[in-house]
This record gives sequence, C-alpha cells and structure tokens, in this order.
Amino acid sequence: MSLKITVVRSKPPTLALAGRLDTNTAPELDRELDKVLAGGRIERLVFDVASLDYLSSAGIRCFIRARKAIEPGGGKVAVVNPQPAVRKVLDIVKALPGGIFTSTAELDAYLDDMQRQVRDKD
Amino acid sequence: MGATSRSLSVRAFHTVRARVLLGVLAVTIPIYAGALYMSHEAGARRLEAGAERDADELAARLASEMDTVIRQIEGGIRTVAYQLEEVDSPESQYPQRIRGILAAWPDVYGSTIAVEVSPDSAHTEPFAPYYFRRGGNLRYSDLAKESYAYNEQPWYRSAVDGGAPVWSAPYYDRGGGETWMVTYSVPFFRKTDHGRVLAGVVTADLDLGAMRRAAASVSLGQFGMGWLASPPASESFVAPIGATAERSASLDETAIRAAGEAMLEEHDNFALLPPEVAAEPTYLAVRNLQTLQWRVMLAVPRDELLAEANGLLRRQTLWGVVGLLLLATAVWFVAAGVARPLHELAVAVGSASGDELSFHLPDGARRDEIGVLTDALRRLRDSLEDHIRLRAESLAEQARLKHELEVAASIQQSMLPTRDAARNLQAAEVAAALLPAREVGGDLYDYFAIRDGHLLFAVGDVSDKGIPAALFMARLSALLRVLGAEGHLPDRLLAGINARLVEGNDACMFVTVGCGVLNMSTGQIRYASAGHEPPLLREMEGRVRALAGENGAAIGIDALADYHLNEAFVAPGDTLVLCTDGVTEAEAEDGSLFGAERLIALLGEAPDGEPASVVRRIMDTVVAHTTGGFHATDDVTAMAVRFTPPGVEWRREDDGARWLLPVEPSAAGIRQALQRVRGILAARDVGPDRLHDAELIGEELLTNIVRHAGGAVRIAVECALTKGEFVFTVRDDGPAFNPLELDAVDLDASISQRRVGGLGVHLVKELADRCSYARSGDQNVLEISVLRAPAS
Repeated sequence: MSLKITVVRSKPPTLALAGRLDTNTAPELDRELDKVLAGGRIERLVFDVASLDYLSSAGIRCFIRARKAIEPGGGKVAVVNPQPAVRKVLDIVKALPGGIFTSTAELDAYLDDMQRQVRDKD
Repeated sequence: MGATSRSLSVRAFHTVRARVLLGVLAVTIPIYAGALYMSHEAGARRLEAGAERDADELAARLASEMDTVIRQIEGGIRTVAYQLEEVDSPESQYPQRIRGILAAWPDVYGSTIAVEVSPDSAHTEPFAPYYFRRGGNLRYSDLAKESYAYNEQPWYRSAVDGGAPVWSAPYYDRGGGETWMVTYSVPFFRKTDHGRVLAGVVTADLDLGAMRRAAASVSLGQFGMGWLASPPASESFVAPIGATAERSASLDETAIRAAGEAMLEEHDNFALLPPEVAAEPTYLAVRNLQTLQWRVMLAVPRDELLAEANGLLRRQTLWGVVGLLLLATAVWFVAAGVARPLHELAVAVGSASGDELSFHLPDGARRDEIGVLTDALRRLRDSLEDHIRLRAESLAEQARLKHELEVAASIQQSMLPTRDAARNLQAAEVAAALLPAREVGGDLYDYFAIRDGHLLFAVGDVSDKGIPAALFMARLSALLRVLGAEGHLPDRLLAGINARLVEGNDACMFVTVGCGVLNMSTGQIRYASAGHEPPLLREMEGRVRALAGENGAAIGIDALADYHLNEAFVAPGDTLVLCTDGVTEAEAEDGSLFGAERLIALLGEAPDGEPASVVRRIMDTVVAHTTGGFHATDDVTAMAVRFTPPGVEWRREDDGARWLLPVEPSAAGIRQALQRVRGILAARDVGPDRLHDAELIGEELLTNIVRHAGGAVRIAVECALTKGEFVFTVRDDGPAFNPLELDAVDLDASISQRRVGGLGVHLVKELADRCSYARSGDQNVLEISVLRAPAS
C-alpha cells in the first residue's frame, strides 16, 4: 500500500491521491507539490482524495503547506471526495476550513461562485 | 502332508478288495454253516431213529430168549402139579419127582414139593423135601424144619393165596445157592368129595445165571452197553447184555436202572442220560419185556452213536472250508482286478500335494467306469494346472501391482511438503498429516511460501479413493505448485486449476479444495473454497470458529466456475485448521460420525494452537473414534497453520489477550508494526473506523518517538484487547519525553500564522478515549486506551 499521485493539469490543477498518505508517503506528495507550485502562481489547487484510504498528520502537513503557499495570495486549496475516515482526520485538525467538498459537483458550484464574485469585484 | 499319507495308505481292512471279500464271506459262511447244521441234524435224527429200531429188535430177541427158558419151566412144573393132582401119589415119591424135575431142566437150580397141612388135607405133618444142585451133584435139604416155616414164605404164600402159578420176584439166595434166583410156584389140589382141595405147592428155582448167560450171548448191535433188569418192585437184579461188562465200569447200574424206570414212567423210550448218571453224554433206550415185566436198558455214548454223522460233518466242514478258500481266492482276484486301477488312481492323485498339484495318471483307455474316472481326473488335473498357473501369474501380477503401489505411495508422499518446508517459513508454523485409506489416496495438502512473505496453503479431497484419485491428485498437486508459485490469489488460482482439470475429465472426477494465502506480515488471510469445508480458526485465546465465506463449485465439474476471495485476519498465535471430510465423517463401529462439533470442541480443548500437537490430536482422536483401529473408509487429512511473526509474543489473559510487538525505529519498522496491530484488531472484529483510528494513533506516536529520539531507540508496543476496549502501551528507552504535554496547536490561526506540524499529538488526543504518560525507570511509557465502539 502506497501512495499514487496523478497530476491533472486542468483548470484548476488537480492532484488525485490514491492509497495512503502517511509519514512514509508524504515526502512524495511534497515533491509533486513543489513541482506544481514551481510552475507559477496558482490560484486554485484541488486534491481529489476519493481513493485515499488513509491520512495521517504527515499528510495533513502537505495540505497545510499547500495552503500556506497559495491562500495568502488569495488562492484556494480544496479537498474533494474524502472518505469518512479521511474527512474525520481533516476535521479534527481543522486542516481546510471551508475547503472540503464531498463531491466534485459541490466543488464546481463553489468554484463557479468564487469566479462570479471575482468577476463582480472586477 | 497329512492328506497325502492318508490317501496313499488305505488300511488293508478298508481296501475295496477286502470289503468285497468280507461281504461275500459274510453271506456265504452263515449259509454254508446253516446247511451243515441242518444236514448234521438230519443225520443225527436218522441215527437216533436207527438206534431206537435196534433197541426194539434187541428187546424182542431178549424176550424171546427168556420166554424159551421160562415157558419150558412153566410147562414142566405145571405138568408135575397136574400129575400130582391126578395121581395121588404118596409123599415118598415126591423126592423122586423132584429129582426128575432137576434132571429134566438143567436151568432149574432147585425144586421142592411142599405139602399143605390142614384139617382137610391128607397131610398132617409139614413135608417139603428140597433138592438143589451144588458142585454138579444134587443135594437134599428139608424145608419142613420148624425154624423155616415154609408155609409162611412168599414163594408158598403167593401161590396158595392166588390159587394159580406165580413167579416170584428175583432174589438172592443167601445161605442156599448163593445165587440170584426166581422161583416158580404152582399150587396143586386133591379131588375130594367137597371138590378140589389145596394139597401143596410145587416149585422150581430158576438160576438167573441162565438169564445172565442168555443176555451175555446177545449181540448189542450199535449199542455199546445194555442191561437186563428185574421189575421195579423187586430186589435189583441187573444182568449186563453182551460185552457190556467190559466197558460199563464208569456207569452205576443201579442209577441207570433208576433212570430207565423214570423214563418208562414218562413213556420215554429214548433219551440222553442225565449228566449226574453219565458224565459223557449218553443215550439210553428202555424197553419193557412182557415176560416177567423185566426191562431191557441199552446205552450208547452220543459221540459213538453219532460218529457217522459227526464224521460226515467233519468231512463236509473240511470241504466247506476248502470251498470257501477257493471262493475267497476267486473273489480276491476278481476284486483286485477292479480295485487295482482304482488303487493306482488313488496313489497317482494322492501323490499330489502342496504346491505340486500335478500327477501322472495311468495310460491306456479303459471303457469301464475306471476309464471314465481316469478321464475325469485327467481333465480335472489339466484344469487344475491351468488354474495354478493362472494363480501364479495372478500372484506375480499382484506383487508387481503391490510394488508399483508402494512406489506410487512413495511418489505421492514426495508430493507432500517436507518438514523442512515448514521450518523455513519466517512467520508461520505448519503441520499436517495424511492417513490414506489405501496405499495411495486422493487427499492432498500443500503449503509453500510465495511472493512478498506470503504463505500459500491448500487442502484437497478427490472424489474417490485409490489409484484414479491419486492420479487426479497428482495433477492437482502439480497445478497448485505451478500456478500457486506464479503468485495468483486463491480465487484465481482455483479458477485456473479448475479450467485445466475440467479439460478431458472424462472420468468425471472432481476435487474439493480449500486454499488460502497468509500474509505473514499482517496476518491477513485470503481464502477461497472449491466445495470444501470452511477452515476452522482457533484463536489464541481458545475460541474456535469456522471462517465464514462464500463457497464455490468443486473443481473439475464446470469449466466456467469462478471463486470468491474471502478475506479475514488472524492474530499472532491464532491457528487455522483445514481438514478433509475424512475427519468429520470418520465412522465409528456403531455408525456414528466424528462430526464437526466434535472437531471444534477438540480444538477448543487443546492447550495451545501449536500445529504439530493440534494435528496429532486430531488424527489420534479420529483413529480412536474408529474403534481403536483405523479402518479404511476415507483418506483423513488435517493441516494446521499458526501465524507466528518473529519477535511477537502473545499471552492469553482472563478478560482477553495481550500481544507484545517490538518496533524497529524506522519508517519501515513503524509501518510493519502498524500493519500487525491492525491485523490483530481486525482479527478480533474491531470495526474499520476504529482500525483506522488505531493505526493513526500508532503512527503519530511512533513517528514522534523516533523523530524525538533520533533513531537509536528501542520501542515496543503492547496491545491488550478486552471486550470493551483496546489499550496500546508504547515503551521506549529514549530520553524522557511526554508528547502529551507539547504545546497545543492553534487550529484556528490564519493560514499564514498557522504551524505546519504538531498535529499528530492533537490527533491522538482527539481519537483516543484515554491517554497517559509515565517515566518508568529509563523508559517512557505511553498508555492509550480506545473503546471498541466510539464514545459518541
């Protein structure tokens, strides 16, 4: 059991995580994350964790790192499709307040909404 | 050998010829003996009748002889009496007349004329001159002596009283003639005016010597002895007849006379003398002579009388014996002619014995029953020889098959894993036993390590016994090895084996297989069943349960059969038991089956789950169930697999169980420890949520410890499980460090303010139901309790 990371360079860029995200595998995600972040300013980053079975604090750190890199600039990090156990861990440590979406549709709606706000602001 | 000697030595008495001979003799001898007896009897009767006739003749002759004497004397004396009456001569002439009598009849010994003295008589004085012979001269004696009183004597009185001539009974004349005599007395009368008056008595004494001489001159004929005897009332006078005197010394004449009288009284003329009279059996013939009522008695020894008949009997017997001997000889040879070929046959057949059942039969074609028998025996021998040859070939064939079976059994045995195979396993102990019902069987067990620390184990039971089952089992074994080694999981493995075994399975054999793979790191079991009984799990604490799971079709039937992969976990110390139905269906003498309940109870009662002892316990109990001796009904196979990861200890406790796991201070070590803990909890039915929590808690704590101690630290996790909760006790010998006292992370800080780490301890505190820390000696001791069911 290990971690499988699929980077989807769509808009917004999405990292699909499958397997276990723990002390052993968190460095792999950190490396992918570095590559993604190095590619330029990112406004939104989505972690699709539908296939993530296990998440420990080491993994949460990755999410918080991403947030620290993106959100201060007004960006947004979102986690979508968490399994209950993963959701529970994320909730306990308040890793992504308001950034957890139970489905892609919910995320899309949120993102559309954000888009509209930005347009309105513009 | 006993049969041989008996058949070869028929005792002479039992031979056919002896039996024929004895049979013939048994009939002929009585018949011949009877004929001899009757012939002899007839001869004897004839001789006896002849003897009687002789006796009659002899008696007649003797009577005639005696009559001649008697009549002469009677006539003469009566003439004298007549003359005395007619011519009344004076007394003085009486002596002259008396001498005249004596002169006339030489047999007359003496004579007298005694006068009657009475008033009517002319005589007044007794007068009785008596002349008798002595030494060739006549002597005179006067009987008229007073002392004698002749008129009182019987010879006088009988004639006077009777008035007629009378013979006296014989008497011995003592003092007179000293001889046996009879006296003839004739009265004479005188004519007077009153008629005839008794004048006296004339007598003549007859010397019985004359009788004796007459008797002696008579020939006895075939009689050896004879006697002339006086009438019974008289004194006993017996005169031997013929030459009797020479040979009658042994016989008492008086006794013979008495016996003769007794016979006459019974009108018996011819009889055997009683033995007290004659020691030698002797016939006596008795005849009554009219003359004077005398008797003639004739005796002859029976042997003498029957000499002729006896001689004939001897000759006939002799010839009879000779004839019987001739008959016996003839019969003997005739019987021998029949019996010899029989005997030869008996000897020929009797010589066959033991393994040498061939025998030589007499040649030559006979057309009788012997020939038929010989032909029959020849056919019997030939077919017997054929049978013996076939039997020998069959035995050789059997021996060859037996040898092949032994080799086959050995080969089959070699298909089973060796004990070494079990020894080389890292984290499992395995033991198995197979008791085939026959030399080779259709049961199979196998286990071997496959990729990544997995152990594959399987038990199979082919639907039959013996060679077909063994061959099918061999194919199964090979497929199991080849496909199993490729790393397929049990569901695909069984499907693959099934697809190959269905092909060309014209014999319609099938096999049930239970197959599992044990992950020797985690204790995960993945299991598939092709119609096999579910495996039993004996938990370390002693509880026994069947591993639930979906079952599939037996292998070999349906090419498209697919199998479900069942999953389960075992904790270290747990033992998995797989059996064939030879165990549960082992039948006792009374028909009762061993049964699954009994097996479950047996496993529960086992002191621990050590595979070798568990398997031995199963096999011993099954064998004992089949009444002390295993009798072949079905192959019996049992296999036990215990999960024994190295370094892990386990202990049964009153309210649960406890495992102790060393943790290598590295990412991989932590990973392995967590897998094991997860496996233990899963094996004890902890739900997936709590499994996740437990793993998370473990990872956060262990990661913290390793990070804080910097690598060189010894860590051990103790996992205690009760009904309601599980408790992790983590010990490490690193520097004193209480992670529970770390500063709390401000979860609500803005993202730019927020710390990246420090979330682990927070997670632990949140997920656990109770946490505590203590520094014990040089060890940090963290104790984390988690309820099986979350508090809310």
